[in-house]
Amino acid sequence: MQPIARDMIRVTALTRTYGSFNALDAVDLSVAQGEFVTLLGPSGSGKSTLLNLISGMIEPTSGKIEIDGRDATNQPTNQRGLGMVFQNYALMPHMTVFENVAFPLQVRKVPKSEIETRVRDVLRLIQLEHVADRKPKQLSGGQQQRISLARCIVYRPSIILMDEPLGALDKKLREDMQLEIKRLHAELGITMIYVTHDQEEALAMSDRIVLMRKGRIEQQGRPEELYFRPDTLFTADFLGSSNLLMGTIDVSARTLQTAYGNLPLPATRPGEPKSGDGVLMIRPESVRLFSETAPETWSGLQATVRDSIVLGSFVRHFLELPGGKRVIVQEPSGASLSRPERGSTVRVAWGPQDARLLRTDPDFQNL
Amino acid sequence: MSETKPYLDRWAGLALLLPMAALLAIFFVYPLARTVWQSFYEYGFTLRAYETLLSSTLFWKVLKTTFAISFTATIVALLAGYPVALHLSRLPPQRRMPYLVMVMLPFWTSILVKSFALIVLLGYDGIVNNALSFVFGSPIHIPMVFNRVGAILGMVNYLLPFMILSILSSLLTQDVNLGRAAEVMGASRFTIFRRITLPLSMPGVLAGVLISFTLSIGMYITPALLGGRQDMMMANLIDFYTRQTLDWPLASAIAVVLLLVSGVLVAMLGQVRGAGGMKEMAR
Ligand SMILES: Nc1ncnc2c1ncn2[C@@H]1O[C@H](COP(=O)(O)OP(=O)(O)OP(=O)(O)O)[C@@H](O)[C@H]1O
Ligand SMILES: [Mg+2]
Repeated sequence: MQPIARDMIRVTALTRTYGSFNALDAVDLSVAQGEFVTLLGPSGSGKSTLLNLISGMIEPTSGKIEIDGRDATNQPTNQRGLGMVFQNYALMPHMTVFENVAFPLQVRKVPKSEIETRVRDVLRLIQLEHVADRKPKQLSGGQQQRISLARCIVYRPSIILMDEPLGALDKKLREDMQLEIKRLHAELGITMIYVTHDQEEALAMSDRIVLMRKGRIEQQGRPEELYFRPDTLFTADFLGSSNLLMGTIDVSARTLQTAYGNLPLPATRPGEPKSGDGVLMIRPESVRLFSETAPETWSGLQATVRDSIVLGSFVRHFLELPGGKRVIVQEPSGASLSRPERGSTVRVAWGPQDARLLRTDPDFQNL
Repeated sequence: MSETKPYLDRWAGLALLLPMAALLAIFFVYPLARTVWQSFYEYGFTLRAYETLLSSTLFWKVLKTTFAISFTATIVALLAGYPVALHLSRLPPQRRMPYLVMVMLPFWTSILVKSFALIVLLGYDGIVNNALSFVFGSPIHIPMVFNRVGAILGMVNYLLPFMILSILSSLLTQDVNLGRAAEVMGASRFTIFRRITLPLSMPGVLAGVLISFTLSIGMYITPALLGGRQDMMMANLIDFYTRQTLDWPLASAIAVVLLLVSGVLVAMLGQVRGAGGMKEMAR
């Protein structure tokens, strides 16, 4: 990876309103050359709106869009020099695969002989040379999406936008295509902005995830950053599963007073709540089970085992704290695994630095 | 096919169809059969009507006129209707509605009323000529009715809703993302129209043309009221033989010829809408 690359895309205070509703609300975002950035978020969070503003298919209410250093805010879509892949492939039904891939080159007035070789090359790259003369309808969904990728990379745009490109494919095919897209990204060094609402896809593919919520960026960072160091309850909840314990911050003792006891807090960090209510977030894989006593510095709670399921390489324990609060623990599994008995009492514990103190959020009331 | 049990059993279904079938049989099939019969029967089977017809210069002249006028009217309706359909297809559905009503309005207006309205508009001292006179400051009387121009304009007026609706329906089945994808790839609006929108709308264009042409060759009142003496069409010729010369077998024979031509056109229309039809192309 290059240490510092220039920004291919920079949007500043970008806003799009519909009536009085902010579909996108003063968003700032930069994407470096060669970076794979994923816009992740629930339905209606503004992912497509942001992507379509960048492509020029919708006009911003206010704010600025720069592409490769140029101000593109008011530039027509067809002059932005971007590539885009759609969820429904958007292949021209009346053209053959070859004609579809040749189309952007014809638009660019590339000489005929060069079109021929470039189309063949790119079809070879995605291993679909043999379907060149077919119509899109005669291809499977996965093949169609690969053709639509080919149609994009054939004219070598420096940026490719993808709006849920794998949304219409089944799970197995989706995973194959994820690898294919990653491979093309690595081989061609194209900057990619990828929209999905599938967190696993985002974690698997991205250099950086931009998590969106209600038209704003909630948090952005490398996948592991977002996963292990969420800044908000929303991020913690959206990515993976988490154990959330609500309580009141005791500033002098540096503990969180909860219904299950006083839990020690991790070292302070910027942006954490200083007093009042707080939520302690611990990932299931950071929690350990102990039949007797836990290490002294660890936080520990008494819990009852409700269920224990083996999911191949790891095992998940579903526990209950006194009062009914559910806790999930995830451990690596192995041949010598001994599962705790259902109904037995255990101690769950975690290292204080594995916990994270978060602000309460009106959208997450019943923890 | 799904295995769901039909709501009505076979006999109940047939029973419900019976009144409609009877109505069609009495008022459509029987007169049609009568007409065909009449064209071959004059005190016994004869081909006299057809022989007279094929050797009549009037018949061939009228046939030529009919095709020429119908063809021109269809092309004019296509050229005038396509841009309207294109514009309508790009409006958001709520805004499209009032315009669609305006397109449909002529459907619900008597053809007689429309013809007289056109005379008022296009006549010697009609609104259009008056407006032109006013603009240019000298009396202008462009002859636009009681000639071929009038017949064609009247027919176009009648055909436009059919043309617009069939083109619109095929434009609306096009995936909007196709145009967007092409735009991102750098295509201009004109290129998108020429390479994507237009070719994908061809089934609708073809359907509109066939419907319009089929309707045109059977037109009667419009050419009679708005056309000139030279613009007699097939239907007017039938009228001439039934009421002026009282040669009913001959009139029937013309009707049969007209029926055959329409039948062929309707069969072609079925082809356009069927196998290689709009839905297939748009997918
Ligand atoms: N043309 C429009 N008119 C009114 N509201 C709109 C319009 N387009 C989008 N919105 C609203 O803007 C918000 C953001 O929409 P957007 O399509 O960006 O969501 P998204 O994050 O892509 O969601 P999804 O995952 O469902 O695709 C939504 O609440 C949507 O209802
Ligand atoms: Mg979307």
